Amino acid sequence: MSESSAKERKLRNPIVGHIRALAKGFKYLVEPNRMTLDYPAETMKLPPNYRGFFTVDDKKCIGCSMCEMICPPQAITMIPRVQVQSGQTVPEGAGQGKKTKRPVVNWGRCIYCYFCFDICPVDAFVPSGVHDLAFYNDKDYRPSYEEYLKPPEEPYKNSKKVVSRPDLKRGVGYEPAP
Amino acid sequence: MGIIPLIIWLIEDLLYVIIFPGLVTVMVLAIIIIYIERKIAGKVQMRFGPLWVSKRIGGALQSVADLLRFSFQSFIVPEGADRLAFILAPGLMFAFSMIPLIFVPVGPYYSLLFPAGLTVLLSVALILVTPIYAIVIGWSSDNKFSFVGSLREAFLLMSYEIPFIFSVLSMVIFYRTLNYIDAVASQYRFLPGIILNPVAAVVMLIVMIRTTGRFPFDITEADSELVMGLFTEYSALFFGVGMATPYVELYVYSLIFSLLFLGGWWPAPLYSPGPIMGLILPGLVVVVKAFIVMTILVFLRSVYPRYRLDQAVRSGWGYVMGLSALAVVISILEVIFL
Repeated sequence: MSESSAKERKLRNPIVGHIRALAKGFKYLVEPNRMTLDYPAETMKLPPNYRGFFTVDDKKCIGCSMCEMICPPQAITMIPRVQVQSGQTVPEGAGQGKKTKRPVVNWGRCIYCYFCFDICPVDAFVPSGVHDLAFYNDKDYRPSYEEYLKPPEEPYKNSKKVVSRPDLKRGVGYEPAP
Repeated sequence: MGIIPLIIWLIEDLLYVIIFPGLVTVMVLAIIIIYIERKIAGKVQMRFGPLWVSKRIGGALQSVADLLRFSFQSFIVPEGADRLAFILAPGLMFAFSMIPLIFVPVGPYYSLLFPAGLTVLLSVALILVTPIYAIVIGWSSDNKFSFVGSLREAFLLMSYEIPFIFSVLSMVIFYRTLNYIDAVASQYRFLPGIILNPVAAVVMLIVMIRTTGRFPFDITEADSELVMGLFTEYSALFFGVGMATPYVELYVYSLIFSLLFLGGWWPAPLYSPGPIMGLILPGLVVVVKAFIVMTILVFLRSVYPRYRLDQAVRSGWGYVMGLSALAVVISILEVIFL
């Protein structure tokens, strides 16, 4: 019998196992080793590649409907608009110009896969970097085009910003954002 | 007996049942113990636990907020449910988990309407009524999760009832009485029961964990398998009552444990039968002991995973039963040789 198998046998002994588990739990109870954030008071500053909620650049978009086609949960709807002289679009009947379409996202359906970003031929989608939003009713999930264009406001502006770093003791640690 | 002493006697008994060791104390302790349970689990599992309801005192009002939320929800009776049984069962379950308190004295000079001679027997018998309503709930809910939960409860009930009775029986043999007050008096004269018969105490603790659904035996309401176990179909205050019942049971079991094994009202002086020295001071000692036992038992939630049903039933008929038989033998030997 090698030494390691004897150790394993000792571990498999139920009474030893129970006592070890309880002792470990008690150790954590006495000196808490926390790895979560005190969320609304501290928020994570994420790298810019995390895109979050997104809007569309009204002037760049060409109304090709590729995003609507690729969208897996069919969250994007193309709504008819009229592009006036300045390049902005207005609702149908509100001005003279070229007939076109613009995307609107239903946030209740969106799964944040960003296929629309990838397929857009003119890179018209704009990430906002805001990740934490809650909607109070069903209607807010489905914005109109004008509401959709406004970039969402970050909810916890006064919170302490932290960034994560690897921590050998508990897996993840936090330090104040630079 | 004149009419005025009778009225005073009745009022004292009502206060006993409703306020001090009874309903109000139980509810306050349940709210505190639920908060402590969640906070301990949070600390051990590397998170905060409840925090944002009343942040200044560490989220202590979270359980109160939950209670308020339950009271304002709407109550839905499913279409296929047995309506009467569905509505009555949680309340009866709660009531029958409280009733053993009548027979559990928390002071040496306590007497209620019933003769105090057989209190151990009566409280143990009444404690074992509660799981029947768990089975009624599972049957009346018309839901497969509730039904499976109630079947599991029935299996576990069968396997852990006898060790519990054996454990109490071994202490009854040792103290040679079926009365809590005499049992505590005998511990005053000699040693607390946990030193005299530690095996019986361990068996009783295991049975307490099992019966009140604390963690390694959280089998009847296994969240990951059966949505909410017995209470899958319940909502509103009925759900809250159902969730509070195991804590009431835990309180009653802990009181019995502290009376039989931890010396009851042991450090309290015994000489005065007044309401303060005769009931409230010894009662506080017993309740504090019971509260410490409860805290230790809810601590297990943060450490253990869940046993499978077959493992739990096998351990119940296997080593727990063996240990309880051993406890009886130890008591008999101690009675013969001490």
